[in-house]
Amino acid sequence: MERRLLPPILLLLLLAPLAPAKPVATRAPRPAPAFQLAGRTGSVALDSLRGRVVYLDFWASWCEPCRRSFPWMETMHQRYAARGLTVVAIDLDKDRDAADEFLARYPASFPVAFDPAGKTAEAYGVSAMPTSYLIGRDGAILSTHAGFVPGKADGLEALIQEACAR
Amino acid sequence: MTRSERRILHAVLLLAVSGLASGCAATAVRPWDRDLLAQKKMRLVPNPMVDAVDQHIYFSKEGSTGGMDVGGGGCGCN
Amino acid sequence: MQLTAASHPSALRARLGAAACLLLASGMPGAARADAGAGNQLDATTLLYAERNRTNVVEPAARLTHTFADGQSLSAQFEYDVITGASPSGGSPSGTPQTTTSASGTVKTVSAGQVPLKDFKDSRYAADLEWQKPFLRSFLSTLGGHFSREKDYQSAGLNGKLSIDLMQRLTTLTLGGGVNRDRVFPVGGIPAGLSDGTAPPGPAARSKDVTTAMVGLSRVVTRRWLVGLNATRTLERGYLTEPYKILSLLDGTTGLITGQRTEDRPERRDRTSLLGSSVYHLTDDVLYLSYRWYRDDWRIRSHTIDARYRHELGNDDYLEPHLRLYSQTAAEFYRFSLVDGTPLPRYASADYRIGALQSVTVGATYGFRVPGHPGEWTVRAEYIGQFGKGHPADAIGVQRDFDLFPQTDTGSLVVGYSIGF
Repeated sequence: MERRLLPPILLLLLLAPLAPAKPVATRAPRPAPAFQLAGRTGSVALDSLRGRVVYLDFWASWCEPCRRSFPWMETMHQRYAARGLTVVAIDLDKDRDAADEFLARYPASFPVAFDPAGKTAEAYGVSAMPTSYLIGRDGAILSTHAGFVPGKADGLEALIQEACAR
Repeated sequence: MTRSERRILHAVLLLAVSGLASGCAATAVRPWDRDLLAQKKMRLVPNPMVDAVDQHIYFSKEGSTGGMDVGGGGCGCN
Repeated sequence: MQLTAASHPSALRARLGAAACLLLASGMPGAARADAGAGNQLDATTLLYAERNRTNVVEPAARLTHTFADGQSLSAQFEYDVITGASPSGGSPSGTPQTTTSASGTVKTVSAGQVPLKDFKDSRYAADLEWQKPFLRSFLSTLGGHFSREKDYQSAGLNGKLSIDLMQRLTTLTLGGGVNRDRVFPVGGIPAGLSDGTAPPGPAARSKDVTTAMVGLSRVVTRRWLVGLNATRTLERGYLTEPYKILSLLDGTTGLITGQRTEDRPERRDRTSLLGSSVYHLTDDVLYLSYRWYRDDWRIRSHTIDARYRHELGNDDYLEPHLRLYSQTAAEFYRFSLVDGTPLPRYASADYRIGALQSVTVGATYGFRVPGHPGEWTVRAEYIGQFGKGHPADAIGVQRDFDLFPQTDTGSLVVGYSIGF
């Protein structure tokens, strides 16, 4: 083998341990961090939703998969509201105008809160855009989902049904 | 290339690569800080087709090649 | 003086351009793969290129990309070039007008003191296919194929890339490779190297294999700043000579032309290039900077600096001035001419493109949308000036009076259109 190939190979070996982290699908239950943020009308607080199943989604107008998650979340909100589900979407846009434009294109009848500083996202440990958390009636995080892919929607719906049944 | 030239090149490469690969926590870019990076113009090669035209032009007028798009950046979604 | 020409030389650009297509990432960059929803995209460009008194090219190209719901994408690109004009034969100027004749009978005359040019006309078509597939959230694989064909040249290749997102997608590692098999079939067959035209005809065709490997790393440094570094290694094996180019034989004292020889280049070429690039977002504008270092075992070394500044004008319109500076050293076996009566070197070529030269490109792109109509337009106008040493210290006799490396002025216009549907 050419000696010249050695340095590049060494570099690759150095980087090998930086393998991609596995997506966190489920964890041992931990309490969902509380938040109180400005919404479209008044404020949105997690405490006020104790007793309901909350599907909490962190999104932004520039996040392309969010264009597909919003219509789905609207469907979930309408389908399972009577059974105890509330969808809450926390927007992480730094530019409020961009968020408003997005909401005009992808209407949401569920509460939307604004966290431009990202403090709540930080508290939840948001690792990708979007990231969603299914929170049980007791306020514990049941599952975490990094990213949104339409193919996973059915599985998410099943988890919602299960959480509502408790 | 002379031996010292090669040593310098390797040192620069290693520095650059370890700098690129390391996690510089001081200026950590969080997943929700990628609003600007999500724009199409924020790519290393923002217009691949025009870049291809350029590669043709310069390949035919000059003696060098190389320097391909490696991707990266972007909104980091999903 | 009549220079015998084998036939019209096909565009070297096209012939060598195949290798440049090897790892073109015309698809979406690594981290953007899952960002684009399902849909189609059409990108079209047309290049109008004119070198003063030399080559003219018209090159339309179109690319269609379909992205599936799961993020996979398939794209096809087609290109058609028409190349006309003349290019330097490699011969030296003389004190009297010189003529060359192409195989189609086109006579090209240059005046006294001018570098002789050979007329040509050629057309080339090329097709590229690319398939991209994201998997396991952090990986993106790309597979591509390329084929191009012109009158006396054909190129076929396969390439692949793997991009890996690391560290919460702040770093992307890319590994790529490609193989290409080119075939040259010049009119009149492959000439013997450094021959005066009396050697028996050679084979009708010869091939060239090009293998490329690439390693790249890109890194999000801050919310506004993305940098990348990549290294490319290209190995060429096979017939690397220009069958239509020649060198003049000069009298060692007077510098007058006494004959000519075909050129001859080594059968291998190993190239290495390192490219560092940066994209920085100011308040609204974006600054693009890159530097490329190159060397090969023909002893060509080059440096390229490229700078663009995208200035936003509002309404999604922008103006992007561009400056590129390039400098290269000559190949080991490059020479302006051969001296009659001295032993022939093993390899020799007077092709100005592997000589010592500098290029300056100055231009600008205007990007805009037509209100009420979908799609984005770009119009780019550029000037490329190329300079070399026209009066080398070792010019012989009457050659000292001539500009052996005249400045070339080139104008290019690229019109582009992109639409999603």
